[in-house]
Amino acid sequence: MDNLSEMLKGVLEGIVLEIISRGEIYGYEIVKYLTQMGFEGIAEGTVYALLMRLERNRLVNIVKKPSEIGPPRKFYTLNEQGREKLMSFWAKWDFLSSRIEILRNDGGSKHEF
Amino acid sequence: MSFSREIQERINRFAKEQSQNYLQDAEMTYMEKLRKKSGQTKRKIDKQLSKFKGRSNQGREAQDDMILYMSDYMNDLMSQGLTEQEAFNKASEEMKFASNSEQSEDLNERFQQYYETRDPADYEAIGLFYGGFLFLGLGIGGLIGFLTGGGYEAFFDRGWIDTAIGAGIGIIIGIGLGQITNAIIALKKR
Repeated sequence: MDNLSEMLKGVLEGIVLEIISRGEIYGYEIVKYLTQMGFEGIAEGTVYALLMRLERNRLVNIVKKPSEIGPPRKFYTLNEQGREKLMSFWAKWDFLSSRIEILRNDGGSKHEF
Repeated sequence: MSFSREIQERINRFAKEQSQNYLQDAEMTYMEKLRKKSGQTKRKIDKQLSKFKGRSNQGREAQDDMILYMSDYMNDLMSQGLTEQEAFNKASEEMKFASNSEQSEDLNERFQQYYETRDPADYEAIGLFYGGFLFLGLGIGGLIGFLTGGGYEAFFDRGWIDTAIGAGIGIIIGIGLGQITNAIIALKKR
């Protein structure tokens, strides 16, 4: 879907944390995963910067493995802090999506909130 | 898929330049900070500093990460039919650092908020308060100085000095009151 970047801005970190939580993965693999899911509009630079931030905020464990290109490749897994952050993301997401669904479906009655 | 030597060198050079932009100040050595800011004189400074330790561990790591990430991306683009050169151009464009740090976002938001909530009436009110207090201070201070200096009879015989001192103090008090009012309005608008 086009022009998703702005909307995804606040949730991309949660999405990437969820992808990492599924198992060990390296940087560009995440982009490919996102592309396969249909998030084609995400700039590659955004994911790179996001990974730097996850590492800086100590939300991921990193294992370096030799690569065919030269420098060692970093593989990410979630650590305890990352899992907590992911849980907090899903809690916020559940709240947000349920509110939006109510807003969308209830026909405008204010008392639902 | 491997790249030509020239493109590989260009990737390395690009990563060396750009990866520093993704680092925070604390993660860079002083030399890296210098290099980042030097702009056009970059190459010259690099050459001079090359004999000293010029890269932090984080800087080297960020550079390696970017080389790999960019190479993966370029391979992907080339498998979609782009030439090596086209893939490099596209990847370097996408990977070019855009200042979207949390600090800059916060600053942008605050600027936006400031201009959105900026009301000319506030500035007019503040100006009027300053003017009002200034005249009030001038009037009261001058009058007190005039009266304590001996009134009309003493005015031309050094009494004017007391009036002038009173007026001066009144002006200072008036400006002070204006500033306090300004601060109160500014705090209320936060």
